[in-house]
Amino acid sequence: MSSSQRTDLGRALCIITGASRGFGRTVARELSRLVKPGSVLILTARSEENLRSLEVELAGSEAGKSGLLVQCVPADLAQMAGLQSVVSASRAAFSEHIDHVILVNNAASLGDVSRFTSSFTDMAEVDSYLSLNVTSCLCLTARLLQALPPRSGLCRSVVNITSLCALQPFKSWALYCTGKAAREMMFRVLATEEPDLRVLSYSPGPLDTDMQLVARSSTADPDLKRTFSDMFSAGQLLTCEASCAKLMKLLLEDSFTSGAHIDVFDL
Amino acid sequence: MSDINSTNPRTLGRGICIITGASSGFGQALAYQVSCYLEPRSVLLLVARSGPLLQEMKEELQSATEEQQLVVHCVTVDLRTKEGVDETVRLARQEAVDEIEHVLLINNAASLGDIAKFETFTNPDEVNSYLSLNVSSPLALTAGILQLCPCRLGLRWSVVNLSSKFALQALPSWVLYCTAKAARNMMFSVLAKEQQHVKVLSYSPGPMDTDMQKEILRLTNVNHNPMPCHESAAKLMKLLLDNNFSSGAHLDFFDV
Repeated sequence: MSSSQRTDLGRALCIITGASRGFGRTVARELSRLVKPGSVLILTARSEENLRSLEVELAGSEAGKSGLLVQCVPADLAQMAGLQSVVSASRAAFSEHIDHVILVNNAASLGDVSRFTSSFTDMAEVDSYLSLNVTSCLCLTARLLQALPPRSGLCRSVVNITSLCALQPFKSWALYCTGKAAREMMFRVLATEEPDLRVLSYSPGPLDTDMQLVARSSTADPDLKRTFSDMFSAGQLLTCEASCAKLMKLLLEDSFTSGAHIDVFDL
Repeated sequence: MSDINSTNPRTLGRGICIITGASSGFGQALAYQVSCYLEPRSVLLLVARSGPLLQEMKEELQSATEEQQLVVHCVTVDLRTKEGVDETVRLARQEAVDEIEHVLLINNAASLGDIAKFETFTNPDEVNSYLSLNVSSPLALTAGILQLCPCRLGLRWSVVNLSSKFALQALPSWVLYCTAKAARNMMFSVLAKEQQHVKVLSYSPGPMDTDMQKEILRLTNVNHNPMPCHESAAKLMKLLLDNNFSSGAHLDFFDV
């Protein structure tokens, strides 16, 4: 299903995780502009307050006024209850009129970058990190694929927000690199299993977000830390909008190889 | 950095060697081979859940290596637990005397996990449990072992990650296994990058005649023509003895 003339993403049911801030919030905004009336956005994150402000913003937008439904589901995706609430909301929002399901797995955490690999002697810390960054992503995707099954005329797209860290090791970033490498493989397996599913691992580049702030202030490796702070000082961080625009272009063109890793700088 | 190989090429030195999943399969085969290359008064820690199997191995190893005065400890623990990992590190620390020339950790213990379609993995407890044994545990154990003693001249550190071709290649219905192996490879690559004095190797042993392979056959009906464990173990031994591999590399039995 590829069409370089596509100017919208259809009447879509979009589920965006980590939608309260940063890149996820931008994805929600940009998707709202590209989906047709009658579409639904399910926004999830832990922060109810931030989700509500986004909901209000989108409801008041042009899309919101033309029939876009926005639903907030505050949830901790590392908990069973959180997963269930997102899936229930999605199932309820799904109808025969929806022709596109778009899941954007964006929620993630950096992990403690102020320490090196040999300091991770506490299994519980690592378990907790993997639970949020790998398990919740796998289980949410699996549950949604089951809840919103294939049907003629329905396109299903799954996006994994990844990083260069999925492909290359970075000193003092053991947890983040490990989690991203795990997710990347996870989605490659999914792509091999379901040829009709559109699976994309999108690497957004260095973004001007809270995560970057932590990266440039806490990274233990001095060279890596300097690289981040230099990027910031030199104004080289990308805005979420600039990177998101590239992701939207990929989704509209829909010509990417399913399972591929595409970086913002590849486009 | 002192190069043991220049004084005595085919030896692992007087070492402390920790092998997880040592009671059967590849871990067991490797234990027998490693014991041949450890200098007198080396220590071998065999880690697994099965006490009786480890005890049998200990007896065989000690009688075969009597002259060598190899000290063998059976560490009967469950590496899925913090207690299991901590106990292993504690015992290793006890044995890490000043005269040790080599700390060699073989992260071999692993599980296959359920082989099933991605969509079926809806239960976070199952996935968390799998990742805990296959990713968190080797990270915590490796971190603990690396803290055993301070770096010094003449002390060699080697960390092996038992990897797989499926750390690199996605296989349908193998999401748990592929994901964990990919995670481990990256984890150990970061370690290799951070610590210049630690030689890290991700070794993909190829299909071997083990319980895991029997399970694979049972679940998938695919016969991968497994080789005897000792054949692959011998290749890993050669890599460790030659010590020419690039730290952080992923090497496959069939490439070497």
